[in-house]
Amino acid sequence: MASQTTPLAPPTAGKASADDGRNGPRFDMGQILTYAVLLTGAVVAIVPFFYTVSVSLMNLTEATGGAWLPRAPQWGNYEQAWRDASFSLYFMNSVKITLITVIGELVFCTLAAYAFARMEFPGKAFLFALLLSTLMLPEAVTWVPNFITVSWLGRIGPIPWINNWPALTIPFMAGAFGIFLLRQFFQQIPNELWDSAQIDGAGHLRYLVRVMLPLSKAPVMTLALFAFIGSWNSLAWPILVTSTPDWRPISYGLLAFLDEAGAQFHLQMAGSIITIAPILIIYFFTQKQFIEGIATSGLKG
Amino acid sequence: MSTTAVGKQVRTVTPARSNIFAGRQGRKLREALLAYLFLFPAFLIIGLFGLFPLLFAAYQSTLVGLNRIVGRYDGLNNYVRAIDNLTYVLFFWLAALLVFMALRSIMQARRTAQEKQWAFWIWAPSGAIIGAGFILFVLFIFRALPAVLEVPQLMRARGGPQASFQQLLAQALAAPPIQQALWGALLFIVAGIALHWYIARRRSPRDRLHNATGVFTGAAVMLLSAAYLLWLTWTEIQRAYSEALEAGEGLDIWSQIITISAGFLLLFVAWQLWDSASHRQSNAGTALRLGAAAALLASAWFLIGELPRAIAAGDDTWWYGLLATLYYSMGTIPIQLGVALLLATLLFQDIWGKSVFRIIYFVPYIAPFVGTAAVFRIIFSSRPSAPVNAFLRSVGADPLAWLNEPAGIFQLMLGDALTLPAWAAGPSLALVVIIIYGTWSFVGFNTVIFLAGLGSIPRELYEAASIDGGGRWAQFRHITLPLLSPTIYFLTLYSVIGTFKAFNHIYVLRTAAALGTTDTASVVIFQTFKRDTRYGYASALAILLLLIILALTAVNNRLASKRVFYG
Repeated sequence: MASQTTPLAPPTAGKASADDGRNGPRFDMGQILTYAVLLTGAVVAIVPFFYTVSVSLMNLTEATGGAWLPRAPQWGNYEQAWRDASFSLYFMNSVKITLITVIGELVFCTLAAYAFARMEFPGKAFLFALLLSTLMLPEAVTWVPNFITVSWLGRIGPIPWINNWPALTIPFMAGAFGIFLLRQFFQQIPNELWDSAQIDGAGHLRYLVRVMLPLSKAPVMTLALFAFIGSWNSLAWPILVTSTPDWRPISYGLLAFLDEAGAQFHLQMAGSIITIAPILIIYFFTQKQFIEGIATSGLKG
Repeated sequence: MSTTAVGKQVRTVTPARSNIFAGRQGRKLREALLAYLFLFPAFLIIGLFGLFPLLFAAYQSTLVGLNRIVGRYDGLNNYVRAIDNLTYVLFFWLAALLVFMALRSIMQARRTAQEKQWAFWIWAPSGAIIGAGFILFVLFIFRALPAVLEVPQLMRARGGPQASFQQLLAQALAAPPIQQALWGALLFIVAGIALHWYIARRRSPRDRLHNATGVFTGAAVMLLSAAYLLWLTWTEIQRAYSEALEAGEGLDIWSQIITISAGFLLLFVAWQLWDSASHRQSNAGTALRLGAAAALLASAWFLIGELPRAIAAGDDTWWYGLLATLYYSMGTIPIQLGVALLLATLLFQDIWGKSVFRIIYFVPYIAPFVGTAAVFRIIFSSRPSAPVNAFLRSVGADPLAWLNEPAGIFQLMLGDALTLPAWAAGPSLALVVIIIYGTWSFVGFNTVIFLAGLGSIPRELYEAASIDGGGRWAQFRHITLPLLSPTIYFLTLYSVIGTFKAFNHIYVLRTAAALGTTDTASVVIFQTFKRDTRYGYASALAILLLLIILALTAVNNRLASKRVFYG
């Protein structure tokens, strides 16, 4: 236990050199086979994306004729897809929905996680178990009740919830996953900090904002990323609560466009790329955070 | 693992220190109140959109009516529509399970209390009263829901501004049955807590700290729910019989309940016998195995004879949805986990470009699935010029309809030679494409988790094994697999639940031409709700799905407690 390697750490050099000594440094069949398998996996994972890019740059005859590569790249496809599918609207909708959700989730989950990690109160274990039990609930169970709740709230309140931002954001502003993730991190922060903060006269809220949060940039980033992906990807719920394009997020927008575009595969693929690209760009910049966030929490958002 | 150890160490320091403070009670109270304030927004949202839906769905599942939020009360008929007479068996055993769980929790707590010499039974009355209060509160919610849900209509009818809302809500809640349930619930809960407090004051601090009121509250809630379920099942069976009598038909619900229950019990007995046989000497083991086989045969005879008849009038769409879910689960999980394990073990060596591979494998999981599913729609399109069909043509095979193909794959392999019944035809080719998509997009996720699991295996074990002359395969078989078993277990459970919940990509990849053969349970529920606006029926199906997921989790837990090695 003492010398446990951290997850995903590279193996020690000793093992590698022993291997090399036994098997010879270069022409090792095992090594070649390993790379062959790994490369095949990588190709399978990545080829659909290249194919998407390729089709998105074709003209109509090439796209429907089954060509592999466009003869002359049609960059105009992107413009046309963007216009035809009113992606600018969906894009902005998704950005707005994501921002509202992420801000709400960060505030509410941080507060709750702090309470679970650092404060003592009656019923703590019970409330935490209750919280974790929501992870078991399949989304399908919540569709009907939440739809009714949301439309009820919209009809008694000042603003409608259906076809509007509240239905798309407020139900996702707190979740067991976010609270759990942050609580795990908050618990690791040494308690000496709290003691000295108390001596300096800081209360819980000030300690949370001034000390805990600056130390917790990594999990907060991870949580924000998951919330972002989650709201960018959400489909079932937006279909239920948006009947007009006004607040339709991008995944649903793309799905609607796929049906409208019919056999115009080049436009469909251009639309797909427009949807996929932001996520992939963010992923490539933050992939370390992402993968480690998933590996340590072992849950998805 | 090491992090929790640190957390525990740190936490033991605090209470000792804060004990010295003079105004301890006041401080504790202030801290608790602040904690509840911190929790309030999150629990408001989670409670309303994550916990309450379960109650609401249970309530809604007893109503019937198209596109109507508050439908007509219809008992268990929504369930009967879905799974026919199996409903009664299910609800009876659900009640039995609740009773069993309640008794078991009491027995376990009693054993601990006896060992440690804590007071135990003295907490029973307060727990039972609080539990009854909770049940009354649930009753209040069920009674208040229809009235509260009607409020917006009344508001619109009155045409007044927001101010009328509070008035109308108060009016709706003023009905005597609702008020009785509410005040009864509050009375019981307050009385129970007061009793608990009264008893606790007279006991030693040690007993107070280890009080069993919570255990009894939980047990009371379970027992009362079980009683309600039994009553509901009983009245529903009576109703079904009287309706059948009016229609001049016979019913055999009781005989079906008994036969099917006997079948499942025998199945359980067979499993227990087989399980205990594996720990015995050869002779006794053989005898036990023979007994298990006999029990299995008998249960199969009961179940095969009775089940199809008991569910004959059920909803075919729903049953096919479950079958499709099962196909999807069975088709994607083994391959997904196998490939991920292979890739992770290969990656977990001194490999050039390790992090690059990891990044690439993860891309299909992270990319928005509507986008990637759209690509699969084109790759596996039924056009002869689509990539996969072009490949088939180049090797001389006929193009296939892929996502538009409703026929089962076994049927397709057989051709026209023989027509298989629906249950034997296997997943439709369209569903197979969805399985391929699911595998493609989730392998990366599993690989990353496996890599983390591999990282926590001590390297010394491998060094020791290679000194002892263990080859790579032996190392994998005897070190990696056993030590990785918690990860494998977690991923299996996670994938099983995930496949049963799966909706998004299946919904994107479904085509009209596939004739609903790709509709898994979630998709069926969604369509029932969105397209057919059958709120009550969709809720009943969702509750059934939840029960299936819970059962799968329980089975998985039991299997894992025997097979998983938590080093």
